[in-house]
Amino acid sequence: MTHPQRRRGGGGRGRGLATGGGGSAVRGRGSESGGGIKGGGKVLVAPHRHAGVFIAKSKGDALVTKNLVPGEIIYDEKRIFVQNEDRSTVEYRVWNPHRSKLAAAINIGVDNIWIKPGLKVLYLGASSGYSVSHVSDIVGHEGCVYAVEHSHICGSDLVNMTEKRTNVIPIIEDARHPAKYRMLVGMVDIILCDINQPDQATIIATNASYFLKPGGHFMITISANSIDSKLSAETVYQKEVEKLQMEELKPTEILPLDNCEGDHACVFGGYRLPRKQNS
Amino acid sequence: MLILVETPAGFAVFKLKDEGKLANIEDLAKEFETAESARKIVKLKAFDKFDNTSEALEAVVKLHEGTPSKGLRKFLKANCEGETLAVADSKLGNVIKEKLKIDCVHNNAVMELLRGVRSQFTELLSGLGDHDMAPMRLGLSHSLARYKLKFSSDKVDTMIIQAIGLLDDLDKELNTYAMRVREWYGWHFPELAKIISDNILYAKSVKLMGNRINAAKLDFSEILAEEIEADLKEAAVISMGTEVSDLDLLHIRELCDQVLSLSEYRAQLYDYLKSRMNTVAPNLTALVGELVGARLISHGGCLLNLSKQPGSTVQILGAEKALFRALKTKHATPKYGLIYHASVVGQAAPKHKGKMSRSLAAKSALAIRFDALGDGQDNTMGLEHRAKLEARLRNLEGKDLGRLSGSAKGKPKIEVYDKDKKKGSGGLITPAKTYNTAADSLLGQKPAKSEDGEESSKKKDKKKKKKVESEEEAEKEEPSKKKKKKVEEEEEAEKEEPSKKKKKKKAEAETEVVEVAKEEKKNKKKRKHEEEETTETPAKKKDKKEKKKKNKD
Repeated sequence: MTHPQRRRGGGGRGRGLATGGGGSAVRGRGSESGGGIKGGGKVLVAPHRHAGVFIAKSKGDALVTKNLVPGEIIYDEKRIFVQNEDRSTVEYRVWNPHRSKLAAAINIGVDNIWIKPGLKVLYLGASSGYSVSHVSDIVGHEGCVYAVEHSHICGSDLVNMTEKRTNVIPIIEDARHPAKYRMLVGMVDIILCDINQPDQATIIATNASYFLKPGGHFMITISANSIDSKLSAETVYQKEVEKLQMEELKPTEILPLDNCEGDHACVFGGYRLPRKQNS
Repeated sequence: MLILVETPAGFAVFKLKDEGKLANIEDLAKEFETAESARKIVKLKAFDKFDNTSEALEAVVKLHEGTPSKGLRKFLKANCEGETLAVADSKLGNVIKEKLKIDCVHNNAVMELLRGVRSQFTELLSGLGDHDMAPMRLGLSHSLARYKLKFSSDKVDTMIIQAIGLLDDLDKELNTYAMRVREWYGWHFPELAKIISDNILYAKSVKLMGNRINAAKLDFSEILAEEIEADLKEAAVISMGTEVSDLDLLHIRELCDQVLSLSEYRAQLYDYLKSRMNTVAPNLTALVGELVGARLISHGGCLLNLSKQPGSTVQILGAEKALFRALKTKHATPKYGLIYHASVVGQAAPKHKGKMSRSLAAKSALAIRFDALGDGQDNTMGLEHRAKLEARLRNLEGKDLGRLSGSAKGKPKIEVYDKDKKKGSGGLITPAKTYNTAADSLLGQKPAKSEDGEESSKKKDKKKKKKVESEEEAEKEEPSKKKKKKVEEEEEAEKEEPSKKKKKKKAEAETEVVEVAKEEKKNKKKRKHEEEETTETPAKKKDKKEKKKKNKD
């Protein structure tokens, strides 16, 4: 299979406007962004409650992450450029909640995503690497993202993306058999699972037993129709949660994702959490 | 008991110090929480490092298949005599047991152990920090991913795109330099430019002789043909160019060297491009040739992008300006783009180029998809399609000929006269005549003004008309008619002096025709054969350019 070339185009327009923004370079003056933000106006980028994530405020709000590889975009997302006091530009990429369920969960207002700069993350179901790239932005160079994707077509896009981002490790394997990639993965702090298979509870459990450190956390997206289309969504969520609990994956939050099509929910939780000592 | 741990850096075997701990799985996790306590439980016994990424890749691939690689086997044999080995994969364990006679264990306790070891790995494996492991891990994961995706560096189309870009650049540069040589040396020996028209030969000759005085002494037979050599030597003697110094000649010669080396390199590059095209896209190469194929890929950006285009797009790739202009102004769109230069289209007659271009584009689209997304490495599919295309071309040309010469089945098509139609384009210009039955029976017919009747009427032919004329008895002469068609029947015409002009070939009917009126026929074309049986009355010659027509009765 030939190595598809990536078109890194489309970023030029952002840059052009940044320099043409004109006027006094007030701190925080950005330009050209997407997801509801009109270009050219004053954009303020403020840190989000979750570490590593930022909000770009303008007429509309957008979720952004700081670009680990300035100048590179993954598909066609918009970028925001912000000038610091020392006249250096910081580049942020817009995180589209329609494309990424994690972004949707953050927008809805999840308590804790558990992803922080410097952590090691195992991402099952990495697909072409869109969400993976944002997670990699958040964890930064100290952290590491192990991206597992079974399909070859998405896999080659993933490999292309990871060539530029050195903190992402591409693994083209079936997540059902973590033994097959045991030599590539160390212990991780978080597992993110976006697979949409009927046996996904088992999948995440096996992976956790291999790689998730005790006291670690997980996030799993449940698509009710992928598990069992006959039952109602709430029933499906409940059943999945029970399955997870049996495997020592204790859910702390269940978040229905309203802005996605179909019935989706995000479940956040912890693994082998230290039991409260009864003194 | 020993534990086998596979890492991106190599294989490690740990010795479990206290087997009793295995009994209590839950507490195991606690034991591994700190490095100190971890070291109490397991100790590194041996570590076999991978020499390079390819060795690591091989070992890992073998593991995937469930067999231990040679390195692993040696390592285990050396270190695991007489002990049980804890492994992560039970299948692997079985194979090791068979081949190496080492007992293997795999259960929940083992999994917990492995978890613990993995979490404290960097501590336990002294001398190998996290930052050492990271690049190895990255390298191994990328090689493994590429292996899985069957990525072969041979099939990268970037080389092709760059090579064809360079080829075009080289051609431009070569031409520029060659022109410069001519101009520069022309100061000294202007006649040479006209004598030798080829750039490379010019450069070689200049390099050989330097100053034109040397021309007479030297032998150019390796470079030039005899007559040219003779011309050269002659012109050298009587040349009107100025003298140049040796230093100048030195620089001119250096430039010639450049030209020659560039042209050599261009030939090499072309060969390289050909070999790359045959590796990357063998079927496309079989269909359209290396150069056109490379240009198509370069135009499309990459082979994968090109494979997403339909055949109609492939047909007009390269003619976008003409295409959109035609679409905007609602005119006819172009029939071919880059594909015009393919040999299949080049061989076709101009009439058929459009059809061949369309068929070729359709087959090429299939070939491109096969090359980009398929697994095959050969070009059988391309060759088959090419054979089909050539058969179609033969078919098209055969049909054309058949139509013009008439077939046994039926009458050939009679073409409408078109003054703009090119003559001499194969086949007959005028089709064979058919018998016009309209004017068969003449009994009781009055001489009329119609086509049938033609009396004395002056005819002035227009250039463009043909008429079917049948003459009948005409009482009066001097009918002049214009004839649009060449079918003419002459019959008894008494005293007529029609002068008719015929522009095209005319065949006369075999009926008893007594041509009373004399006609002069003038043909514009030479292919006319007349058979006039009748006497010719004094005919009037008329010019070809008469435009009026009179019919008189």
